Amino acid sequence: MSQQASVLYDAPGPRAKQRNAIYTVLFVAALALAAWWFISELDARNQLEAESWTPLLEAGVWTDFFIPGLLNTLQAAFLSILIALPIGALLGIARLSEHAWIRWPAAVWVEFFRATPVLILMLFSRELYRMAGVDSEILPLYAVVTGLVLYNGSVLAEVVRAGILSLPRGQSEAADALGMRRSQVMTSVLLPQAVTAMLPAIVSQLVVIVKDTAIGGAVVRFEEVIAQLRPLPTSDYRPSVIATLTAIAIIFIILNFILTAFANWLERWLRRRKKGTGAVVTTDMVEEQAPGVRLEDTEADVAGRKDDG
Amino acid sequence: MTEQTSSATPMIKATAVNKHFGDLHVLKDINFEVPRGQVVVVLGPSGSGKSTLCRAINRLEPIDSGTIEVDGQPLPAEGRALAQLRADVGMVFQSFNLFAHKTILDNITLAPMKVRKQDKATARKTAMELLERVGIANQANKYPAQLSGGQQQRAAIARALAMKPKVMMFDEPTSALDPEMVQEVLDVMTTLAREGMTMFVVTHEMGFARKAANRVMFMADGEIVEDTTPDDFFTNPKSARAKDFLGKILTH
Amino acid sequence: MFDFLDKPLYAEYGGILGAFWVTIQLTFFSAIGSLIWGTVLAAMRVGPVPIMRWFATAYVNIVRNVPLTVIIVGSSVVLADQLLWTLGGSDTREISFRLAVLGFTLYTSCFVCESLRSGINTVPIGQAEAARALGLTFFQVLRIVVLPQAFRSVVAPLASVLIALTKNTTVTAAIAGIEAAALMAAMIERESDKVLLVFGIFAVGFVILTLPMGMFLGWVAKKVSVKR
Ligand SMILES: Nc1ncnc2c1ncn2[C@@H]1O[C@H](COP(=O)(O)OP(=O)(O)O)[C@@H](O)[C@H]1O
Ligand SMILES: [Mg+2]
Repeated sequence: MSQQASVLYDAPGPRAKQRNAIYTVLFVAALALAAWWFISELDARNQLEAESWTPLLEAGVWTDFFIPGLLNTLQAAFLSILIALPIGALLGIARLSEHAWIRWPAAVWVEFFRATPVLILMLFSRELYRMAGVDSEILPLYAVVTGLVLYNGSVLAEVVRAGILSLPRGQSEAADALGMRRSQVMTSVLLPQAVTAMLPAIVSQLVVIVKDTAIGGAVVRFEEVIAQLRPLPTSDYRPSVIATLTAIAIIFIILNFILTAFANWLERWLRRRKKGTGAVVTTDMVEEQAPGVRLEDTEADVAGRKDDG
Repeated sequence: MTEQTSSATPMIKATAVNKHFGDLHVLKDINFEVPRGQVVVVLGPSGSGKSTLCRAINRLEPIDSGTIEVDGQPLPAEGRALAQLRADVGMVFQSFNLFAHKTILDNITLAPMKVRKQDKATARKTAMELLERVGIANQANKYPAQLSGGQQQRAAIARALAMKPKVMMFDEPTSALDPEMVQEVLDVMTTLAREGMTMFVVTHEMGFARKAANRVMFMADGEIVEDTTPDDFFTNPKSARAKDFLGKILTH
Repeated sequence: MFDFLDKPLYAEYGGILGAFWVTIQLTFFSAIGSLIWGTVLAAMRVGPVPIMRWFATAYVNIVRNVPLTVIIVGSSVVLADQLLWTLGGSDTREISFRLAVLGFTLYTSCFVCESLRSGINTVPIGQAEAARALGLTFFQVLRIVVLPQAFRSVVAPLASVLIALTKNTTVTAAIAGIEAAALMAAMIERESDKVLLVFGIFAVGFVILTLPMGMFLGWVAKKVSVKR
């Protein structure tokens, strides 16, 4: 909508329109120049020849390499979220406990694993499993899933907490008034609603998890999609490294687009729905959740919070 | 009635104004004049284009065709000239729109200092006088979120008045208020009208229209359907749409 | 207890402190780069020129969906190995460092852009209109009304981005042995009797780098937030 005003701009007048037209021409020229330069750079290293790229069109490349890799990625991602969810729910509730001796250990756990890089968690768990004598075939999967669960359990704990805090206070007061115990209030009133409010955030956390499985591929030899970069260019098919990497990137982009679209759809659906409180933990920025930062303090993250029911 | 001589330049003059939002024709060949010192109340069902017309007068909404003149000057399309003209047209919004990160006093002194280049002491003095006038001088150092809706709206009126505007536009200034706060805002507006301010007011407050307005414009579907005195409009509406509209708001 | 550290391999990293120093440098330069490129992207995204908006939107939506590992590995195997770019670096260590900074910048700038954009969007459009209606010019509206409020709501998300970047620098280990995570990978395989100690050292190192920064910036964010 070039004709409309925004927070920053008035609706453009004739001079502003002319200026915008000039910017458009300059920008297109700059983009074209950059593209041309990069393509000639590729061409100079013979990267544009057909034989570097056409092997990607053969079915075997997909059935032998990409699809098994993709399945491993999905397997690790779903295992991780399934295991991380109950852990996250427990930790999230624990952080809201009335008892300091429950609240504090949970807080330390959550902050520790939000502060520690996933890659380090994967390396550590791989060594632990190796020492425990876990079969070396299955070791990378164990390491990847454990690393992802430790990290995402803590991330989800914060989502759960924000989800519960996002519920109208009236909900828990009404339940209190009915004489329910706190644990009953939590399990039968707050948690089910919070989980619904969290669904979009959970799905978009899957995007983060899917991306993080690639760390496993590169560092603990987990045979997911990016791990195919090693064997594929030297296999019978021989696509170039650049072609292979492009295909890998596109696979991830498509997969994550689908997950993101689903998360957004869920969010819209939850907001529209008459049933429930309409509270939703939005999908924005959950990815960049940092240790020490409370999710509910960042304006972008929790929407639909109300004071009464 | 404080009718001016017909030779004086009107404060607002709209000629053949048209505007579309996509396929929707929101302003259809609008023509009217508001003479200096007159108070015009604009009425009409929701969606009839009242806000759009109000916002078009200081080009918060650009128009597709036609001309709008303020005090004899055609509305500039952009830049400094537009900013200058806007400084002379006070505007009060339904949702107050006070700057949330500034105190009430700073909200009011901001534009006189930045646009009119007044020094701080003068701006503060004027601001305090205005706050006194709208009855919230004791709230000067609070932030907007700490005030009630009625107080915020009165602060917003003071903010607009601080620019010493030639004309004041109001777009449903009391619609977002709790009922008990409506009167305090209307009182401020009525006083302003008595003092001779030229005012263009979109409102459904019949009491205000009867008491303070010189003239009522009734809009429906992007057209000005009736343009007459308040008495005439309320007692003797001519068009079916106006009768229908009055029937709905007077019976509830 | 710590004499296992005196191995020539570890000395290449400058020991644990040396490796963490590289982590800090990677974070620092990538943060500067991301802030610059992210701001440019945000300016395009909220600007009045449709083609720029389209480009920035496409860039953010594509790049943020590619795993960082793919970007970092890509900068190494594509830019360095195939296209022979050195980015002005003289040895492999230096080249890897610069490629990593480039990769982190390309990736992290997406999140910087999104934080800035959402910060600007938290300013209600009505306030900007009120400012314009008072006769403030474009730059006055920007400087006095929009940016001060946008800045306040941008502190927390940007803090999160910075902290995530600090942790993400570990992905450098996929292409080079220069920073803390690569040193840990080397150590944990060799010191199989001290796995817990090695993990503890590096985990605590990252907690020290990130947690105080997160708590401080979270506190700042809360302090400056605008009441609405
Ligand atoms: N920015 C906009 N984009 C598209 N349509 C709009 C916009 N603003 C208003 N409209 C439409 O224009 C019509 C007139 O709106 P408005 O002037 O706000 O009416 P009123 O103030 O009389 O209720 C309505 O149908 C409204 O939906
Ligand atoms: Mg309206």
